[in-house]
Amino acid sequence: MPAVTAFYLLFLVAPILLLAVGSVGGTWTNTLLPDGFTTEWYRNVWEDGSFRRAFVVSLWVCLSTCIATAAIGLPLAYGIYGAARRGVKIAARLLYLMPVAAPPLVLGFGFILVFSTDELPFLGTPWLLVCGHVVLTLPYLMQTLVADMRHLQLDTLERAAESLGAGFVQRFFGIIVPSLRHSLASGLIMVAALSIGEFQLSNLIAGFLSRPYPVVLLQAFYGATGFACAATVILLALALISGAAAGVAGHGRVGVQGAHT
Amino acid sequence: MSIAISGLTFRYPGGAGVFGIDLDVAPGAFCAVIGPSGCGKTTLLQLIAGFLRPETGRIALSGVDVADVAPKDRNVGVVFQNYALFPHMTALENVAYPLKLRGVSAAERRERAGQALESARLSALADRRPNQLSGGQQQRVALARALVFRPRALLLDEPLSALDAAHRAAMRDEIRAVQREHGIATLHVTHDQEEALSIADVVAVMDAGRLLQLAPPRELYDRPVNRFVAGFVGHANLFDAKVAKGALETPVGPMRTLDPLPEDGATVTVLLRPEALEPIVEAHVREGVAAADGALVLMGAVTRDRFLGSLRRFDLAVAGGTILGETSSQAPILGVRVPPGAVRVLPPEA
Repeated sequence: MPAVTAFYLLFLVAPILLLAVGSVGGTWTNTLLPDGFTTEWYRNVWEDGSFRRAFVVSLWVCLSTCIATAAIGLPLAYGIYGAARRGVKIAARLLYLMPVAAPPLVLGFGFILVFSTDELPFLGTPWLLVCGHVVLTLPYLMQTLVADMRHLQLDTLERAAESLGAGFVQRFFGIIVPSLRHSLASGLIMVAALSIGEFQLSNLIAGFLSRPYPVVLLQAFYGATGFACAATVILLALALISGAAAGVAGHGRVGVQGAHT
Repeated sequence: MSIAISGLTFRYPGGAGVFGIDLDVAPGAFCAVIGPSGCGKTTLLQLIAGFLRPETGRIALSGVDVADVAPKDRNVGVVFQNYALFPHMTALENVAYPLKLRGVSAAERRERAGQALESARLSALADRRPNQLSGGQQQRVALARALVFRPRALLLDEPLSALDAAHRAAMRDEIRAVQREHGIATLHVTHDQEEALSIADVVAVMDAGRLLQLAPPRELYDRPVNRFVAGFVGHANLFDAKVAKGALETPVGPMRTLDPLPEDGATVTVLLRPEALEPIVEAHVREGVAAADGALVLMGAVTRDRFLGSLRRFDLAVAGGTILGETSSQAPILGVRVPPGAVRVLPPEA
């Protein structure tokens, strides 16, 4: 068992380590490790205008996606959890899990067909990119929220609040949202990480000036190895940071609300 | 502070529900509702709390009809089976929550919630969250929260079922003490008949959505209205019997009773409570009806013997059936005497 775990960890960590090494290495051709130490590659990425723009676009898309999935996901999860009929619950579940099963490529092609028409000429706008990311990431947030609602027995908590005199709005913002703060935070971390790293759909529907980081990163793979490594490490850091930020934000916001009694 | 229910009917889509319930809980009285699972006792509680809307019937709390009052405005304290404490609030915040909803100032609600926790001996734990409290502590917080806003009635939905046996008995007494102190009409739903008998002023027995009997515990035990109640409340020997010449013909032998008897030829149910039977420990006692007091003497063999600490419950195989008896004696049992005072005749069933 420990051997398997160690092997798995090696498998997981080795590429990342190599990327990190490569991003600060000098020349790296046909040897196990590069020779020399340099911060040149990072400076190159920084000085590249398209990478800087992509960095900002990715952050902006990620933030917007988090806000939108939270705003849509919470009420939707609540509705599905509270649905009286079993059939409705199952249908709703299948519906919101569908984007997980459908390849993003299919989704992207659909987007291209629909949004390149004269009636809906939104292809290439950053808003459409956000919409696409919302569709792709919402299932993960929903899944986390609905599971937590079941675990907390939210219906009993709500009844308790009702018997104590709370109306719907008071229950929703005073009990439901704060009770779900942990699952909301962990769900949003996942949403943020997925959004930052999303390539397939973004590559198809992003406009030239609103390409997110992973799409631009692909270009780097055709250039110098060190440059590609540095650009990839930045993406990794970006995903980790946005995930952590979403977690902290989700935690902080509802934490404040729950605190003042 | 009373609960008055009349003609209350509610039907689930499947056909279960409650049907024509009449139930009054006097101001300050403690009523336990018992019955097997699915008998409608929890439905009844949810109807009173307003979580379900009755088809017909009337519910009045302190004389006010609450048919069209939303649950949040009913002013009823409810303690749930799993306590339903809000996980993101401390014990103090949980108890203060109903006061906050009623617009009580921060200082006053802190004071009142603090007092409520103090009388529940939980002051030291006021800043803990529910997941840092034991089951019994959560229970006491839930009870304090349900009473702090001075509700018109208190509803308890199997509040003790999640506690272990040792805490349950203590908590039972505590609930009763707190309820007395507040003088609040209380409905306590439970499937534990021993709990119901020990805690309540009156006990309501339900089965299949109907209220079978509403009586003080002693009366319920001594004078059950039918076989179901007799069997559900406490342990019982139940026999079909035919009335003949002022006595009862049972499968185990003729019995005399002090109860009034219907005319000869009628079929009735006879109830013998196990502790009312007198075990026989000396050999060579004659079987049959004793001349002196009209008691029926049954000799037989003990087939099961259960040691329950202070008492012992045994099955005695006799000619014509099995008798369940109780005694504190540890001597070998050879038979039982059934004195006429132990023989209860249940009213004929409709």
